[in-house]
Amino acid sequence: MPNRVAIIGVGITPFRARYLDKTYFELAYDATKLALDDANKNGAQITHKDLESTVYGIYNELFERQFMPDIFTNSYLGMNDKPGTRIASGGATGGYTVRMAYAEVASGLSDLCLCIGLEKCNDCYDEQTGVTTPEVLNAIAYSADMTYEYPMGMMAASSYVSMVNAHYEEFGNPTEEQMAYVSIKNHGNAMLNPKAQSPMKVTVEDVMYSRIICYPFKMLDCCLYSEASAALILANEQKVKELGVEKPIWITGVAAANTDCFIGNRESIGRLYSNIEAAKAAYKMAGLDYDKIKEQIDVAELHDAFSGQEVISYEELGFVPFGEGGPWIEKSFEKPGEGPWLEGELPCCPSGGLIGCGHAVGATGIMSTGEAALQLREEAGKHQVTIEKGRSIAHSIGGPGAAYAAVIVMANEEGLKKP
Amino acid sequence: MSGEKFQAHEIRDFIKINYKYTMGGQSKFFIELKNNKKLLGTKCTKCGKTWMPPRINCSECYEPADWIEMKQTGTIEVSTIVWYTTSAFIKAIPYGVAFVKLDGADTALLQGIFSENLVPSKVKKGSFVKAVFLKEREGKMTDFFFVPEDEYETWINKPEYEGGV
Ligand SMILES: [Zn+2]
Repeated sequence: MPNRVAIIGVGITPFRARYLDKTYFELAYDATKLALDDANKNGAQITHKDLESTVYGIYNELFERQFMPDIFTNSYLGMNDKPGTRIASGGATGGYTVRMAYAEVASGLSDLCLCIGLEKCNDCYDEQTGVTTPEVLNAIAYSADMTYEYPMGMMAASSYVSMVNAHYEEFGNPTEEQMAYVSIKNHGNAMLNPKAQSPMKVTVEDVMYSRIICYPFKMLDCCLYSEASAALILANEQKVKELGVEKPIWITGVAAANTDCFIGNRESIGRLYSNIEAAKAAYKMAGLDYDKIKEQIDVAELHDAFSGQEVISYEELGFVPFGEGGPWIEKSFEKPGEGPWLEGELPCCPSGGLIGCGHAVGATGIMSTGEAALQLREEAGKHQVTIEKGRSIAHSIGGPGAAYAAVIVMANEEGLKKP
Repeated sequence: MSGEKFQAHEIRDFIKINYKYTMGGQSKFFIELKNNKKLLGTKCTKCGKTWMPPRINCSECYEPADWIEMKQTGTIEVSTIVWYTTSAFIKAIPYGVAFVKLDGADTALLQGIFSENLVPSKVKKGSFVKAVFLKEREGKMTDFFFVPEDEYETWINKPEYEGGV
């Protein structure tokens, strides 16, 4: 039997366009210190010396201008002479890192494990245009297949938009307006999150008339690349008791799936089979039902790198039937108590998600997991949602054609008992 | 520290690596593309699945796949037009990309879509496209692209391009 695993501390640095005053390993230090402080506020009495191992989520060597950035971070965090393992799974790096840190503790390899994600992309700089973003995108573009896809100018947005366009062809949604509602929701939720990079009140018109990126995605449909670090401290059940942790948040389900990275090889281009498989497996592990999940959880932090993908995730993660994602958010606009809105039936991305917070790739999924855990502690801050069932999920996707997907299910003490 | 204004020190730097990369078992695809303007796929000797991009082993059956010549006509499965991109492709915007299912193929190939009138309706799902080749080919994916069927003659008559086989 695997050990039960709890998140006992959460540390998230602000998500910012650029930290001129910190390197990637200095950001990681800040997040670790915040997570230790949080664990101690949560009843533990620990320092970094008590952490037995580290799992690092760091996506891109070219961002960090450093291969094996984990080992340099390991030194700076004072974690020498203990095991540290790096995970790199594109945009889903955070979710996969949580999964492996879970395995580290569940297996008994460690009793107390640091799960940390970090990324600092905006040191990349494009001399032609005098800005960072085109060079950040260039550093990411090498994640596409170098032989068949990179030479076509394929990048994250054009890859995601292919799936969204195919979904639209099949179901007539998400429409551009329905995607705009995601942008309104997530930029709006970010206004309540002091750590978010892009808090904004936007309208459908603002989104529709923002700069075209790749048809039909506009600027405000897309997340911005961000710099940040996020850390979780994971402990097994015995350690939770021994340390006297007041509000442990139990990881009750973890699952991941890698679908075909060649979008053209998939049976249907408008489906992320990885999302469906990861969600079903994570819910099953947690004793929940794919068909009833919307009624079984209080909140979901989704991977909204692009507005249209959040809409499709509503369907793939089982919140609504296939083809009903677009209508779900549109019909519930300005109807408190419905849809994925902050006060809706299942709030999605109360933190602001990637569109609101920014996307600090390796840190993102760990931020989402940390946010979903803080919600269950009812300590999320101004974007706290109502907790009744005591269960939440975090979702990560990424990689070429968004081939990687991970879903994490969490529960507080009440959530463990409720049906 | 207190009271002292922080000043960042930034340096210019870059990472560059040169390659002479072998396409390995896929080499024949690139050689035939370069020398004979042929588009080769592979067909699994067991299940009969056609792979495009080609792979010389079937990932489903763990059996070899044989080379087969594909048709140079196909249908757009999904497309987009890119208006904002990486520093390496800025000069190319706007450009069209699509997943194209070649006639007879089981998978769709990502390729550039060129059009005299590059608008979403021209490159929508179900549009028929034909391959056009560069006269100067290097044995790379950029040696060819697809155009809407009704623009084929226009494109192959441009000095730098030619029709396929
Ligand atoms: Zn086969």
